[in-house]
Amino acid sequence: MVSTNKNILRTILIASYIMNVALIISGISALFSYLNTGADRSTMLHTEIQKVEQYLPKLVWQPLQNEGRAMDKENLNALQNDYLDAWYVKQIAYKTNKTAGIKDYYTDSARENLYDFIELNKAQNITIEATTLKHNPTLEFFSEDGQLAVITDRDVVEYKRVFKAEKLVLQTTETSTYKMVFLLEDGFWRIRHLVKEDTEIYSPEISKIETDSLNIKGINYYPQANPWNMFGDEFSTDTIAKDFKIIKDAGLNSVRLFVQYEDFGKADVNPKKLEKLIKTLDVAEAQNLKVVLTLFDFFGDYSVMNWTLNQRHAEAIVEAVKDHNALIAWDIKNEPNLDFESRGKETVIAWLENMIDLVKELDHVHPVTIGWSNTQSASILKDKVDIVSFHYYEDLDKLNEAIKTLKKDIPNKPIVLQEFGLSSYSGFWKPFGSSKDDQANYHKKIQELIAANNLQFMSWTLYDFIEVPKDVVGSRPWRRNTQKHFGFIDKNGAKKASFKYITN
Amino acid sequence: MQFKRTYIFVLGLVLLSSFAVVQNSKTTNPVLITTQTDYKVGNTIILEFTLSEQKTPLLYCSNSYGSTLVSAEIKNNSLHYKIPNNITKKIGVVNWKLLNDKATLSGKLNINPKAEVATMETYIGPPSIEAGGTDYTMLVVIPTDSLDNPVPSNTLVNAKFQFLNSEEKEAVFTKNLIAYRNINSKRESGRMLVSSESLGTNSKEFTINVAAAIPTDFTISAKRPHEYSDGNQITTFSTSVIKDKQNNVVSDGTFVTFFITTKNETILKTTGTTIEGVAQAKMIHPDYADTWSIKAYVDGMAESNNIVLSYKQVIEDFEVAFSNNNRTITVGPLQSFMQQMIPDGLHVKLTIYKDNELIDTIIKTSFKGYVNYNLKPAIYKNDDYSFSIETAGLKKEIKTKKLW
Repeated sequence: MVSTNKNILRTILIASYIMNVALIISGISALFSYLNTGADRSTMLHTEIQKVEQYLPKLVWQPLQNEGRAMDKENLNALQNDYLDAWYVKQIAYKTNKTAGIKDYYTDSARENLYDFIELNKAQNITIEATTLKHNPTLEFFSEDGQLAVITDRDVVEYKRVFKAEKLVLQTTETSTYKMVFLLEDGFWRIRHLVKEDTEIYSPEISKIETDSLNIKGINYYPQANPWNMFGDEFSTDTIAKDFKIIKDAGLNSVRLFVQYEDFGKADVNPKKLEKLIKTLDVAEAQNLKVVLTLFDFFGDYSVMNWTLNQRHAEAIVEAVKDHNALIAWDIKNEPNLDFESRGKETVIAWLENMIDLVKELDHVHPVTIGWSNTQSASILKDKVDIVSFHYYEDLDKLNEAIKTLKKDIPNKPIVLQEFGLSSYSGFWKPFGSSKDDQANYHKKIQELIAANNLQFMSWTLYDFIEVPKDVVGSRPWRRNTQKHFGFIDKNGAKKASFKYITN
Repeated sequence: MQFKRTYIFVLGLVLLSSFAVVQNSKTTNPVLITTQTDYKVGNTIILEFTLSEQKTPLLYCSNSYGSTLVSAEIKNNSLHYKIPNNITKKIGVVNWKLLNDKATLSGKLNINPKAEVATMETYIGPPSIEAGGTDYTMLVVIPTDSLDNPVPSNTLVNAKFQFLNSEEKEAVFTKNLIAYRNINSKRESGRMLVSSESLGTNSKEFTINVAAAIPTDFTISAKRPHEYSDGNQITTFSTSVIKDKQNNVVSDGTFVTFFITTKNETILKTTGTTIEGVAQAKMIHPDYADTWSIKAYVDGMAESNNIVLSYKQVIEDFEVAFSNNNRTITVGPLQSFMQQMIPDGLHVKLTIYKDNELIDTIIKTSFKGYVNYNLKPAIYKNDDYSFSIETAGLKKEIKTKKLW
């Protein structure tokens, strides 16, 4: 008894001794590394100042026919950069009611006007989040000594959200024409005079897109070996061709593919990824399959300040793919309603609305949809989208009713059940999960409902996956393991019972 | 009958309900009372609306520089919105929107510039131009009012220039917020004074330097104290007054390079910069008879004529004496053109051979007309040596001298 106590005491003593020593050593090493930082020689000369793209609205210079000196590319580029930076610092200033950065882009007397606004808004607790989406500048004048320029920027599309006491009171999109005088001071093109010459409420023209011929009977597709990383190093057109053949042979006519925002390079879209995407579409075309392309997958930042960057991303992809024969529709975003709570419903909807406008402006042919995660959200933006899409993983008994309600709300647009399925996982992490037979029954039943309601559909998904990345459903094993078993084909490549009911 | 009664009843109901709708809309939706949409900059702007159910909706308004919200004041049973000063003091379009829950009401106001000039913001450049009429500078004027707004389009601006005897005035008009005028140079170089005026307000004075154009060909001359090649005196080369094609003297500091080609095709170079059109450069006399051919250039722009200078030999002959076991060699006296001792510093070159093989070359300069060489026994062992002595273009050879 005594010896046991002694041993416990000894252990505690030794352990605390080791702990103390470890703490002291880590403290000293932290101090040492702190003293060693800060004087990195490579930073001494500021030789590496990389331009970070923060603000990239669509900017199209009108043909140069200015008075005064002929403009050259370098000067025009410098002027453009400083002009956009001037907008950017202004947006930040009005969002935060702080004056940081303004003095670099507005001359002494012009900045006073901004300071006045900041003071006024700060006093009344008004903040304004804004961005500009389009600029069409014309160079009117460039002085002989290259120190002064006049620009008219026509039809600037400005989106604004006005908050009073942190509460959103107004969202507005305006299109305005500005005339500006710039002076080159200290190497910055600074705004000297700024005059809004005209302004209107912005209402984009939306062309009607034909959707009558649409008959989507499809499946959500990821390759078995590299799901959620389809366009990475393991990209293989052979695998995809093989899979697409299975899909085609099963009687389906389309696939839903995902373009991940970060994976594709954000605002500066990686041409290699685009090339892989186009190759995939080529394979689909060869198999006579159509593709619903979901943009902005793994994207959750809808903040107004980054809209211009998001739009450049969408623009690059839409421009690259819009003429491809395999393309059938654009899906702007997968399940955006899941971000309502964390990012604000208005913000997300405004983002979607503007993104739809952009995609429709670039592509007049292909219909646009949003992959809502439930039927309740599906009628949001129903007037903007051409196809209404929703996902359904809930109780099948309630589906019929949900569709009926939805159809009442949206009588004249095609409705696509864009994701549905049942995991056949039942094991250690989920002992009472569904079996493969349950899965087959589920698909049989839902196909009957689809046929009865005359819906178009895309099921989830072709394969059981071996690995599911953490970002998809989180790291909890019962979720990840469930997600691995939604396929019509199992890990070993054998068709499950549900495969029979892959289509109606 | 029954049918008729029902019909009238229904008709009455329809009428009644429509009346109710009209009334309803009257009480809920505010209506803009203010009819004015054009204002002069700096004037107070108050937008007045009829009172709405919702007590005091905010008014959003936005001008060139920013946006804000204005709160209402209720006066005389109507809503008054006073547009803030920082909006009314800047020209341009102001758009507003009444943030009413039911029906959004929006509109635009124009704030027009004043025909008044408080400051003349003037920019001129480049500050230095070339005479001759083709080069020009540009005057840019931004007339602004007392609230720092650009003035209306087509405001008259007088651009005024003075140059030599001429004083000119040109009318230009503002366009794109500015007024500008190109000012061409005249044939003459000089200073041009520029100013501008608009609606009674004058700018300050600006100076433009009209520099001469590029130089034209010129002539050169040389001046020297005597024509002897004594290696001591200095010849000075000068250009004529260098002018441009309009006869303006080129700018001070124009760089002139003189190239001297000697008899044996060696090139010497000396340079000078102009002062009042004349550049000077110097070169020391050669120490032996020579003929120089000289030509000057302003690089890439102009060149001079070619002149030729001859230098006469000063030392006709010299003596060499050996002493101290032949180990001391005395060269001299070295005498100049008047038999005077040559000034110190004349180069004398002694070359030493042994068995027809070069052993050493020693160069010394003269001092008081003589040069002495001491051949140390430690270096030059006792033996037979040959020597050759060169100075002022002359050469003497001494065969086999015995050193001991």
